[in-house]
Amino acid sequence: MAGAKHSQAMFFQARAGEKIRNKVLQKALQKAKPLFVGKRAKAMAALPEDGFEFEALRSACVDIRNRVLGDLDVWLELFEEKAKATGAEVLWARDGDEICDLVIDVARRHGVTKATKSKSMLSEEAHLNEALAAAGIRPVETDLGEYIIQLAGETPSHIIAPAVHKTIEEVEALFAEEHGRPLETRTSADIPAMTREAREVLRQHFLSADMGITGANFLIAETGSAALVTNEGNGRMVTTLPRVHVVVTGIEKIVPTLDDFATLMRLLPRSATGQTISNYVSLLTGTKQPGDSDGPEKTVFILVDNGRANLLGSAYQEMLRCIRCGACMNHCPVYFSLGGHAYGWVYPGPMGSVLTPLYTGIENALDLPHASTGCNQCGTVCPVRIPLPGLMHRLREEQVERGLRPLGESFALKAWAWLAGKPRLYRWVVRRASRYLNWLADDSGRIRILGMAPGWTAGRDLSVPAGKTFHEQYAARKRA
Amino acid sequence: MRLALYVTCLVDLIRPSVGMASLRLLEAAGCEVIVPESQTCCGQPAWSAGNRPLAAELAKKAISELEGYDYVVIPSGSCTDQVRNIYPQLLADDPVWAPRAQQLAARTFELTTFLADVLRVELPLADFAGSVTYHDSCKGLRGLGIKRQPRELLLKVRGLTLDEMADCEECCGFGGAFSVKFGDISTQIVDRKCESIAKVGADAVVGGDLGCLINIEGRLRRRGDETTRVLHIAEVLAGEES
Repeated sequence: MAGAKHSQAMFFQARAGEKIRNKVLQKALQKAKPLFVGKRAKAMAALPEDGFEFEALRSACVDIRNRVLGDLDVWLELFEEKAKATGAEVLWARDGDEICDLVIDVARRHGVTKATKSKSMLSEEAHLNEALAAAGIRPVETDLGEYIIQLAGETPSHIIAPAVHKTIEEVEALFAEEHGRPLETRTSADIPAMTREAREVLRQHFLSADMGITGANFLIAETGSAALVTNEGNGRMVTTLPRVHVVVTGIEKIVPTLDDFATLMRLLPRSATGQTISNYVSLLTGTKQPGDSDGPEKTVFILVDNGRANLLGSAYQEMLRCIRCGACMNHCPVYFSLGGHAYGWVYPGPMGSVLTPLYTGIENALDLPHASTGCNQCGTVCPVRIPLPGLMHRLREEQVERGLRPLGESFALKAWAWLAGKPRLYRWVVRRASRYLNWLADDSGRIRILGMAPGWTAGRDLSVPAGKTFHEQYAARKRA
Repeated sequence: MRLALYVTCLVDLIRPSVGMASLRLLEAAGCEVIVPESQTCCGQPAWSAGNRPLAAELAKKAISELEGYDYVVIPSGSCTDQVRNIYPQLLADDPVWAPRAQQLAARTFELTTFLADVLRVELPLADFAGSVTYHDSCKGLRGLGIKRQPRELLLKVRGLTLDEMADCEECCGFGGAFSVKFGDISTQIVDRKCESIAKVGADAVVGGDLGCLINIEGRLRRRGDETTRVLHIAEVLAGEES
């Protein structure tokens, strides 16, 4: 049950209300959504110019990911062999605790007291920063968004834009407090100046850290390399300056060849940020060799299961195709009403609504598979065609099979289905319901409070028909 | 041509005029329309909640009463999606019911698709003085590819102008039980839809799924918009009965 002890996913509904009432958050979200959606749409529309249609590329990406998942052990063994041949160490972690133990052990072996980090969601799964700090090793996040939330003592609310929930004003206040520089030294909302300020602070950390910790967007089996996709260049600082580089990544992140990687890269940045390619794409292979001007003396890969292997061969295997682009959350009406923190664990939005129950236990995230209107925008944009609504639906079925749904809900459904199986009685009940609704309505023909669905009428009026039910009208018409 | 009209439970209870309008449209196009008497619910609520056995029970009931017609027509994208896409999946492992589900699925059409693509109906039956904006419902749009058909039909109506709103394909936040379970999230989503509607300033919002329309209308009225009409496309195409 790795991670379950930290999951807050059971409080989705309570969190949702809190997030909706948070005006600052709502402002940040409403500003971000059109940017994400617009940029991706533009990038996808431009695709045929490059000779590859979206659907054809998608199929190619699905094939690559399926090929890996079909023989995951084979590709992992090949990766291990190739990575070792370049001088890297390859370690395996079953869960979050093991990740922390291994990273701390590597740090101690090399006398490390400070580690710079490039964004890694797996280290969020493992709560690595807390563990490092407790072991006397200072972790410093260097992705600007991650840096902001580390200062704020928060967790990422989005997998590619961790601080998307924050407004410029909030970041300004945070910087003023943490950097000890008065706000007046720059004009308000001057993003380049704020970025420069963060860079000046981070530069000292880049130069003084002995260890760099990163995730990997992909691992390439044929070369034993880690591929890192970033927009800020911090990934390069973290992987080339410190003596030791530790890569923490999920076992499913592997791709067979460099060609496969190139194919996936045609869709990853386009799906994520609408870029043709990200600003930096690093392929990291092996350690510093004689004559190299930079690079780590020691490279360690920590390949992590943390629940992934359980999905192989299960009804949820398709979820392992995920390349963490964030397109599903960027297009999700629910995500953009709440932001990522409402989801209660590392992964938000539609992919999180599938992953969180699977990784932390279905019984610990009962609401998440239902936190979807079923609109399927997520499935439509997913570059590797993960049927996200279908997987959420499968989780709902599993909840029903395991008796995890509230009794009231199960009873209401059974009663409804029973009634629907008795057409004459059903007809009678619908007629009565129609009269009852009319009776509940005020003078304008609207119901403003409906006891059966208080949540619904809290935000809406229900208009009721003046006339008889359709089947009554139809019967009358036939008689006439 | 003998066809069955399947009237959704929401239409039956909340807005029967949609069913009557569908009936008039199909009859005007020369179809012999039968409303099977025992029809109740397509089982979508049970399916969405993850209750496969109950959904299968209701699917079998619907299949039994809708077999034997040339076509089945439903004035709803989401119920049509249930019959066309979910029934065959739901009953795939049942040697008796799987072929029956597939046969029914192939003959079942959402109203606007049937009018535009199968019947290629001659309109207008009615006039409409004013501008409308069309909301694309998710299940119809992404499950059945309904996009062109309603617009084609609307543009044939005398006096009607079509003004597209921004994000017409964006979910309205209804999602059936979603809007009951997560009322406040749903309100947040439908608010954005209401803003798009307000911005385009049409006389009416038109859609093909009553669930979405009840949701949108309910929020518009609660926000104080008393004038924008919210209409099912069948009501616009057939005209309101005098």
